[in-house]
Amino acid sequence: MSTLIDPRKTFGEAVTELAEHDDRIVVLSADSGGSSGFGMFRKLYPDRYFEFGIQEHGVTGVAAGLATTGRVPVFAAIAAFVTNRNYEAFRNDVAYMGQNVKIIGRNGGMTYSDLGPTHYSLEDYAIIRMLPGVVVLSPQDPGEIRAAVEAMISHDGPVYMRIGGPLIPDLFPQEPFTIGKGRIIRAGDRATLISTGTLTGQVILAADQLASNGIEVELIGMPTVEPIDTDLIVSSAARTGHVITIEEHYVRGGLSAAVAETIGQLSIRHDSIGLPHQHVTTGTYAGLLEHYGLDAKGLHDQIQGLLTSDLNPQLDDVDHSLPHDGIFDLDRA
Amino acid sequence: MKEEILDLEVEAAKARLLVLRMLRTGQSGHLGGALSCLDILTALYFRTMNVDPENPTDPRRDRFLLSAGHKAMAQYAVLARRGYFAEDLLDSYGGFQSRLAGHPDMHKLPGVEANTGALGHGLAIASGMALGLRLDGSDGRVFTLLGDGELPEGSNWEGASIAAHHQLNNLVAFVDVNDLQISGPTAEVMNMEPIADKFAAFGWTVRTIDGNDMSNIVLALDDTPLSSSAPTAIIARTIKAKGIRHLEGTAGSHYWKPSAAELDAAEDELRQQLSTIAGKVGTH
Repeated sequence: MSTLIDPRKTFGEAVTELAEHDDRIVVLSADSGGSSGFGMFRKLYPDRYFEFGIQEHGVTGVAAGLATTGRVPVFAAIAAFVTNRNYEAFRNDVAYMGQNVKIIGRNGGMTYSDLGPTHYSLEDYAIIRMLPGVVVLSPQDPGEIRAAVEAMISHDGPVYMRIGGPLIPDLFPQEPFTIGKGRIIRAGDRATLISTGTLTGQVILAADQLASNGIEVELIGMPTVEPIDTDLIVSSAARTGHVITIEEHYVRGGLSAAVAETIGQLSIRHDSIGLPHQHVTTGTYAGLLEHYGLDAKGLHDQIQGLLTSDLNPQLDDVDHSLPHDGIFDLDRA
Repeated sequence: MKEEILDLEVEAAKARLLVLRMLRTGQSGHLGGALSCLDILTALYFRTMNVDPENPTDPRRDRFLLSAGHKAMAQYAVLARRGYFAEDLLDSYGGFQSRLAGHPDMHKLPGVEANTGALGHGLAIASGMALGLRLDGSDGRVFTLLGDGELPEGSNWEGASIAAHHQLNNLVAFVDVNDLQISGPTAEVMNMEPIADKFAAFGWTVRTIDGNDMSNIVLALDDTPLSSSAPTAIIARTIKAKGIRHLEGTAGSHYWKPSAAELDAAEDELRQQLSTIAGKVGTH
């Protein structure tokens, strides 16, 4: 077991290192800088660190204004708030104005598992990839976060990056990051698994388990959700004839949709593993992954089910007919 | 000074005619707000702001962005008069792939600094520009103009808090208070008065002026920044559709779709105003 690392710390350090030689970089905080890993940045570059208090729309507008003067603003806060609360500023001030702004949603997905749906971002890939010209990144391990930060700063244009919160392991040796390129983590011919974000760690374990049972799947890690690596998807899908997307996001609108848009014409089977389209429940992060079949065991079982059946297996514990998962009606509680 | 004011009034009168010229091809547009703020924009571009139409992206320039983006015709008219582009371009207003849409686009027209139109965005973007200029050690200043109808958008007050907290003395925000919005009087739709007190409470230095009186506008602008440690808000009391008598002070002028005859009549009226003002030039 490799050391577990705080992705926010990794992210903040990566930005701080680049800032030493790139004085265009400025950091914006909506009472969120410290918890986004910017403690050292603030200490080293107080003139380039701006605090605004809790107001994501205003800060996004400020970021766009700063970018018009040649700065590269980096604004990190809770993913749910820097994609939803500020959506119109993201859309108009950043995307439509084409400004070189970097917005980072930390504690993405349901990593704030005990805090509830207000603090989950399970639609961020979907809504941000709808903004023309915005790159959507979801790196999978600490090394990829570092490399993606470098690529994000080098890229001249708006970027949204999702990172998590809980400690994560190294999955790969660090390599340069190319926006729009996926990587084949494991080669195989039984099916093509495509996953993004730190959930890839669980997918690797699931694929290992499948391999130990003689099922060799191809696993593509896809840290860029937009623009998606069409060539890699199509070539692998054509070879295996079966695609399974896996993400910590609603199965609607995100990676699954991006892949479906890519292979929709090819008559290749595509199954989607992710969160049901519900206001999902609360608990420990590990507990939620297990509940929704997104831990290694749940993924293994779901993938195996998909490979041996024509149907997408339903999760036993989740009633897909309701908009809420768990207690909703107090009278019936 | 008197001559300068008269010259600015002549410019404003010419720009008002250009607004009608845009309506001639565009056939409809946000007339009322364009005419209420047009005197302010004239003073900014022809007197106050350090801008060079020949070099519209000079990093040292002053910036103006129109938070109330629907008043774009006023900005287009003044930019054309100031020489950013040929007046002929105004004839493409509202057309297919025009550089002049109903809301301004910074990538289509020189002199436009931001893509506005969704209300309540200007103050935050302007604050970011002002922060960036200060960080660069630049003398550049940032000017923006809000409409009173957009003030209920909460994001304005996010912007207002940012500019005050960061003591952006290089930022001047006009509020074009013409008292009307599309549904009727702002006081009835959503009363945001006392506007001056609200900005003052956020930490701005505030002055209230007659926003259709050129000498009033110029005197206020000449005094800016009103504070060395706070942004400046100029609450400009204006008349919606200023210049076209029968539309003045009507909510119906907010978005005007005139017949050819109505347009002719309005143009005659504005031409008369121009010749009256022009006649005074040189006599003082």
